[in-house]
Amino acid sequence: MATQLQTPGAIGPEAVTTRVESACAWLAARRRAAWEAYTALPMPDRTNEDYRRTDVSALRPDEFVADPGETGHGAGLLATLREMRERIAPEAAFVAATRNGVRACEGTDPLLAQGVLVSSLEEAAERDEEAVRRALAHVPVDGSKFTSLWNALWRGGVFVHVPAGIEARVPVIAAYSAAGEQAAVFPATVVVLEANASLTLVELQVSPAAQGTMLSDSVTVLHLGEGARLDYCLLQRWSAATWHLATHRAVLERDSRLRFFAATFGSRLQKAYWDALLEGPGADATLTGVCFGGGDQHLDHQSLQAHMAPSTHSDLLLKVAVRDRAQSVYGGLISVDRVAQKTDGYVQNRNLMLSRGAKASGIPMLEIQANDVRCSHGVTAGHIDDDQRFYAHSRGIEPEAADRMIVRGFMQDALDRCPHEGFAEFVGGVLDEVVAGHSAAGVEAEAPA
Amino acid sequence: MSDTAQLVVEGLRASVEGKEILNGVDLVVPAGEIHALMGPNGSGKSTLAYTLMGHPSYAVTGGSASFAGTDLLPLAADERARLGVFLCFQYPTSIPGVSVVNFLRAALKAQGREMPAREFLRTLSAVMRELNIDESFRSRYINDGFSGGEKKRMEILQLALLRPRLAILDETDSGLDVDALRTVAEGVGKVAGPDMGLLVITHYPRILEYLRPDVVHVLHRGRVVVSGGHDLARRIESDGYDPILGAGTAGTAARNETKGAL
Ligand SMILES: Nc1ncnc2c1ncn2[C@@H]1O[C@H](COP(=O)(O)OP(=O)(O)O)[C@@H](O)[C@H]1O
Ligand SMILES: [Mg+2]
Repeated sequence: MATQLQTPGAIGPEAVTTRVESACAWLAARRRAAWEAYTALPMPDRTNEDYRRTDVSALRPDEFVADPGETGHGAGLLATLREMRERIAPEAAFVAATRNGVRACEGTDPLLAQGVLVSSLEEAAERDEEAVRRALAHVPVDGSKFTSLWNALWRGGVFVHVPAGIEARVPVIAAYSAAGEQAAVFPATVVVLEANASLTLVELQVSPAAQGTMLSDSVTVLHLGEGARLDYCLLQRWSAATWHLATHRAVLERDSRLRFFAATFGSRLQKAYWDALLEGPGADATLTGVCFGGGDQHLDHQSLQAHMAPSTHSDLLLKVAVRDRAQSVYGGLISVDRVAQKTDGYVQNRNLMLSRGAKASGIPMLEIQANDVRCSHGVTAGHIDDDQRFYAHSRGIEPEAADRMIVRGFMQDALDRCPHEGFAEFVGGVLDEVVAGHSAAGVEAEAPA
Repeated sequence: MSDTAQLVVEGLRASVEGKEILNGVDLVVPAGEIHALMGPNGSGKSTLAYTLMGHPSYAVTGGSASFAGTDLLPLAADERARLGVFLCFQYPTSIPGVSVVNFLRAALKAQGREMPAREFLRTLSAVMRELNIDESFRSRYINDGFSGGEKKRMEILQLALLRPRLAILDETDSGLDVDALRTVAEGVGKVAGPDMGLLVITHYPRILEYLRPDVVHVLHRGRVVVSGGHDLARRIESDGYDPILGAGTAGTAARNETKGAL
């Protein structure tokens, strides 16, 4: 191992140095500390509770390229992302980030006119230091192996800061893409809503379907000030050869409301954390996921609904369908602090297994220290219901069409909770294709000439 | 004969989970006729309905069943439906996430009867009005959270839209209040016609007063034991099954069973 050749631009001290040199002082210090923590932390193995059912032992981060040369995919991917914007929310401001930084920042004028800051995260680290620092404090440099790596190496990124009382006039689409053999990408989305501000943010993470092995290490921070309202939608369509490690961390102050919706289709292995920290009384988080896996995909969602103040409300619904040899793993914790009386916390994970070799499991947990709360959880895993099948057949619907209809229907209650209509329609369209047998891991993107 | 759309069942035997339920059913329902099928609880009425529709849990162990000259038994349920056989379920299944509109369009499409969207919606609205079904049900998920009566009306709605050549109604009248029963019976009456055979499974003569069956059959222990005219249903209403079943194949056990049922 010691004499292994280093891939040029690989994840390693040089990549860190490049970033440290171009960063402002506070960020440079963070990156250095993060890299140190990263090298000191062990790769998570099965002794790590979070990775008991998800095996990352075959992942070697240092074999991935953090600073690649041009791959030529950029233009094609950008076109694909623009097309998605057209279909989801044509009026939206659009920030597209690739591995080398932000490639496009369009349609931001209506927001800038309102005093909403939309920029790359790197830029914001200097221009809006206080807000960025406040938000990044939610992702400590030594928090975990992969968030440390992210803290050391993220680039570009998307930052949205909505001032107090402002309702952002148009949604923001933060789009990430990457391509190239052994590519590493570090999506970085930070949203700060001041008191009573509101925003819709759509995050897209895509790579070309036909790509080789990639690594995506991604962090999204959502900070909701008092009374703020955020609708957040995520589409994850990395190629089926991508390792995807993601942390979504939402912090909710008093009376704020988050509607979080995520559609997971891509990656060979995903470990995604959805953390909602309900810090202020009256805070309300609705978390919804649709996830469809096939082939050899291993898709892991782990959620935390942390009720840290009284009268907080959280409600999570994750619908998963798996086929072929795909596996879904879900683990969720609702924790209720002693002070968090009058709390409502719900978790539901419903799994549909469509092939003999496909597996899905969910383990919900409750840790409740308060005595006046309502919390419940439910997990189911099953196959297509034969009575539903027969009912559809009895109307003349052919077996394959009936199955497609039933599976598509299975996802609908989750889709109905999507806070943005255009996004719901888009994801609905993807689901239509997926139930018809296509894979939605990765996207079509014109290959370089 | 073979080209007339009639249902011919001969010596049909069927079992579920290894238990023989149908013990040789003989039944002919010609096109344009309305036949009632009565019989105590557990006599096998639903089993006959499911078996004719092709439910995979019901294994045919003997006899034959054909419709319009086509042997039904080798056909899967969806193929039977496309041949024109329709079942109004006693307990309709819900399919969460599939709206009434999408379900109906899929069914029409499968049966080669796709309509342009506007024509479809117009037709749907008209039938819904007739059946007293609120417009909002269009976008509801099929049978999901519907009351018993709403489910039954949804079955008749499908019957009216799909216009099968043979309709089997399995206790469509059970659990309906008087008004709903009239609505449903009138709905069925409107759909019935010279091109459709109707097999109406029921416990109650009331729906038969609306539909005026040509023939009434009594099923008992998996066989049709008596057939007669409309007056047979009235006799059952006033005297119960005992006098009818007691004479022939029914023993004491059956009589007890019958009392329990009525
Ligand atoms: N799926 C099933 N599994 C086991 N037994 C069944 C099943 N369906 C029907 N049966 C049995 O078959 C008999 C006839 O039932 P059914 O056809 O529902 O009668 P009916 O509709 O006349 O009341 C009953 O004894 C019932 O318990
Ligand atoms: Mg029955």
